[in-house]
Amino acid sequence: MTAIQKVAVIGAGVMGAGIAAHVANAGIPVVLLDIVPEGAAYRNVVAETAVQKMLKADPAPFMHKRNAKLIQTGNIEDHLDLLADCDWIVEAVIERLDVKQSLYRKLEAVRKAGSVVSSNTSTIPLEMLTGGLSDAFKRDFCITHFFNPPRYMRLLELVTSPQTRPEAAQAVTAFCDHRLGKSVVVCKDRPGFIANRLGILWLLAGVTEARRLGLTVEEADAVIGRPFGIPKTGVFALIDLVGLDLMPHVLGSMVKALPETDAFHQIDRDLSLVEKMIAEGYTGRKGKGGFYRINKAGGGKVKEAIDLQTGDYRPTQKAQLESLDAAKAGGAAALLAHADKGGRYARAVMARTLAYAAALVPEAADEVAAVDEAMRLGYNWKQGPFELIDKIGTERFVQVLKTEGIPVPALLETAAGRPFYRIDGATREQLGPDGQYHAMRRPDGVVMLEDVKRTVKPLVKTASASLWDIGDGVACLEFTAKMNALDPEVLKGIAKSIPVVQSGFKALVIYNEGSNFSVGANLGLALFAANIAAWSQIEELVEKGQEVYKALKYAPFPVVAAPSGMALGGGCEIVLHADAVQAHAETYIGLVETGVGLIPGWGGCKEMLARWQANPKAPKGPMPTVGKAFETISVATVAKSAAEAMDHGFLRPTDGITMNRYRLLADAKARALAMAESYQPPQPATFRLPGETGRVALEMAVKGFRKLGKATPHDEVVAGKLAYVLSGGDAADVTVELTEDDVLALEREAFNDLVRHPDTLARVEHMLVTGKPLRN
Amino acid sequence: MKNVVIAGYARSAFHPAGKGALTKVRPDDMTAQVLRTLVERTGVDTADVEDLIVGCAFPEGEQGLNVARLIGFLADLSLNVAGVTVNRFCGSSMQAVHQAAGAIQMDAGEAFLCAGVESMTRVPIMGFNPLPNPGLYKAMPQAYVSMGDTAENVARKYQIPRADQEAFAVESHRKAAKAQAEGRFEAEIVPVGGVAQDGCIRPDTTAESLAGLKPAFDAAGTVTAGTSSPLTDGAAAVLVCSEDYAKARGLPVLARIRSVAVSGCSPDVMGLGPILSSQKALKRAGLSVADIDLVELNEAFAAQALACIRDLGLDQDKINLDGGAIALGHPLGATGARIVGKAAALLKREGKQFALVTQCIGGGQGIATVLEAV
Repeated sequence: MTAIQKVAVIGAGVMGAGIAAHVANAGIPVVLLDIVPEGAAYRNVVAETAVQKMLKADPAPFMHKRNAKLIQTGNIEDHLDLLADCDWIVEAVIERLDVKQSLYRKLEAVRKAGSVVSSNTSTIPLEMLTGGLSDAFKRDFCITHFFNPPRYMRLLELVTSPQTRPEAAQAVTAFCDHRLGKSVVVCKDRPGFIANRLGILWLLAGVTEARRLGLTVEEADAVIGRPFGIPKTGVFALIDLVGLDLMPHVLGSMVKALPETDAFHQIDRDLSLVEKMIAEGYTGRKGKGGFYRINKAGGGKVKEAIDLQTGDYRPTQKAQLESLDAAKAGGAAALLAHADKGGRYARAVMARTLAYAAALVPEAADEVAAVDEAMRLGYNWKQGPFELIDKIGTERFVQVLKTEGIPVPALLETAAGRPFYRIDGATREQLGPDGQYHAMRRPDGVVMLEDVKRTVKPLVKTASASLWDIGDGVACLEFTAKMNALDPEVLKGIAKSIPVVQSGFKALVIYNEGSNFSVGANLGLALFAANIAAWSQIEELVEKGQEVYKALKYAPFPVVAAPSGMALGGGCEIVLHADAVQAHAETYIGLVETGVGLIPGWGGCKEMLARWQANPKAPKGPMPTVGKAFETISVATVAKSAAEAMDHGFLRPTDGITMNRYRLLADAKARALAMAESYQPPQPATFRLPGETGRVALEMAVKGFRKLGKATPHDEVVAGKLAYVLSGGDAADVTVELTEDDVLALEREAFNDLVRHPDTLARVEHMLVTGKPLRN
Repeated sequence: MKNVVIAGYARSAFHPAGKGALTKVRPDDMTAQVLRTLVERTGVDTADVEDLIVGCAFPEGEQGLNVARLIGFLADLSLNVAGVTVNRFCGSSMQAVHQAAGAIQMDAGEAFLCAGVESMTRVPIMGFNPLPNPGLYKAMPQAYVSMGDTAENVARKYQIPRADQEAFAVESHRKAAKAQAEGRFEAEIVPVGGVAQDGCIRPDTTAESLAGLKPAFDAAGTVTAGTSSPLTDGAAAVLVCSEDYAKARGLPVLARIRSVAVSGCSPDVMGLGPILSSQKALKRAGLSVADIDLVELNEAFAAQALACIRDLGLDQDKINLDGGAIALGHPLGATGARIVGKAAALLKREGKQFALVTQCIGGGQGIATVLEAV
């Protein structure tokens, strides 16, 4: 198997360009070609414009702007020769068989022997794509179906044919897994593959049933969202997001391709409202709006929703249904059992959808786990359909189907009341269409904490943290509070863990499998303490945090932090104190304390000074270090990827980045073990800081931002305190050497001053209530 | 007393800092290239040159270590040419010319190379280590006032509306674009790293396009990026020598230095600096504003330039014939040499007699030179 070292993408539309950007994110050179528009003076204009547009797009397709340089743009008339040394050619052109086939014929002439060609088609069967092409082409061909946006959506559906060389499929799978960070789900060559086949039916049922049962779009989204662990966009807001115009198109191709007996033919497909909306330009968020819109008439900004019966817009109303209240206590099962229209709607939509999922095995997928993975990663469901059925209970679910008059699929008959998943000892098993349970194995090199947790008991456990033995002499510290917020129980957990690791392990990894590594300190606790003027409690917490983080840093074993998702405030500070970091590529890290009127108080200021001071590229003198740290912290900079985090100094150039979320723990563990070989705790940094003169220089800069309206009055107060800490306080001078403890003392002083400031407390409260920063 | 003349002028193209074509060029290399070409074009024997005087507003990093001496080596000047770096912020390289003129008149040399440079990309404005004196900052905060604030202060004090500032900026771009299109910069620009065209000029600047910009320094103010000179990378140099020497060696004399002056003013309206320094220089020259045929007035900000024009009673038609710093750019240390050289060359090109060259200086100063045709 030859590794893929150069890639080409043909078609620079949203998907093609996005795929090219993501290949570049992996550090792989990529050729991006598109057509020459008629009469174009600049013949690469389509591909080049796509790259330029992506550099400005938000959310960014690039993990770092420099990745754009890895994309070589061109056109299919002049530059097909650029494909000659590409190992993988991805076709992402318009969904027309004739266009695709004529391109494939051109590819046959230029591509190198053994290179893999894949299509990103979402609707055309593989068999049709390669019809009439050479056997050699068929051997090297497969479908790789990415989801939009390719950087962020972790699902990749892979379809091969009996002719496809196993090595070709393996090469693409390995590349997409390791380098692109995708979870590769093997699908059969059936229309819509897995995720969209099920997803479109679900959305279609969601739209038509809401209209039939008289639910508002808000009610429908509330029923189909949270109670089922589905993003709160539910059905209608999701369609707005992906675009209304996509629906009739995909639906049409699916209905055409599927046999009369398929559920798609049985379901109400009246999308007249959607078609009317599309015709009027209401194509969703990319157009004038969709089922929801922002009405800016009269200078206002009113969120409105469409009335599904009349087609008129009206201001949004919060959904209030008895069944929703029931779901809060009893979950999806209670919702499905409820008699009101919410319950009826849930049954009509979800029972149909989950039943259809059961019908897809083994028709479209070999195993139920593939369907669950596809819906989790392709539609961001917390649980896949079979996990949901298990939660409801297979027997109870079959009852629901019977009362709704929905045919019971064969797989559910096979299950005969048994769950689709079960745990046998340490092994998780899934039910196959043969009625037998089959062990589920992680791919090589994947270690999941959830697997470990099924088999052993924690070595240390507090209300907010646990310590686990993940084998080979490595322990793993897990945060367990809501959003992985940091509180005294986390600090207690760390403090208790250090001696345990020291006596029985070689190394420690700090890692968890939440959506976010940690959103920072628990602000609610802090505000509560402030409201009752329990200042000593807050001071203690600050001091304790400093102490514990310091103990981690100087512990006699290596500590590797493995963040993924958000690592903010105190969560960022713990990463800064680790000896090394193995970060998931999608890590959003930053010291955001100033947003709530505070400064980093758990060693964040100290560590940022130490980072910039150690940077050999920084200019000499006392100010560049202070200035860089100030710039980063004062505006609450959050890196939008692990690659960007290196620019900001949150990660060191030597830290590692893992593209595939599933491989993060294994990579972090390997790094920790490598370090354990000859580990020596770091030497504490010392600082020569400018003192008052540096503070004045920073204050002058802040005054400028204030004048410009970019800084608020309280920003100036907070920035002043931050300047005080970073410049070393009143005692500092370039002739004086300060220790880490000196800077920590300054952090405490400034933090404790600020936390008593009414404007800071107003910011904290506002953040807790609205989730947004207060600009006072 | 000996007469002092400008016997040659050259500069690099000027490009916006951080994004232009010269961001990767070291300032010392840039200046050396300009000097080498100036020496070549004038034919001056560098063994005769007393000193290389280089003006620079932030002489540190790549502009540090008495960069003048190092530039002398890079430019292959004769080893007997000395080198000194001078700093009067934006007036640095005009100061270099003044020092050379003074030295010639006290018989401390016959020929001087006077240059100026600033890579505002590679050495940031304020330098790498701004360390203000806390005591002075408390007692007199305006000592450290930001340049943008001084422009706002002047605009307020002189009640110069935003539209007037923008009209002035549009005119600067129009003149510069026209001069560029007609190839009138070709004689002065020395290609550096293959870059031979100015990069700051925006020929499409209109009153409408400027009106859409947000204030750059004060949310409630009138000064925008469009009515301020841009941060710029560039270098400039002139050959200053005694008239007798120039004539004896057949050097291409452009103009004679008639008088010079510097002056101070309140730092928070530093843009008014040219008023007093120009008045002093004119008085020393025995001339009045009416005698002046053309003016090079550095456009740090449109507001400040308009205030000086008003108080000095200057004729707008005589000012900055080929555009000013708002369009061309303002590499701090290099601007003085550029406008002295430019005014000298213009006297010759336009066949005029007297030129006033003046600029404002951060910290509250002005500097002025009166030139006359030879």
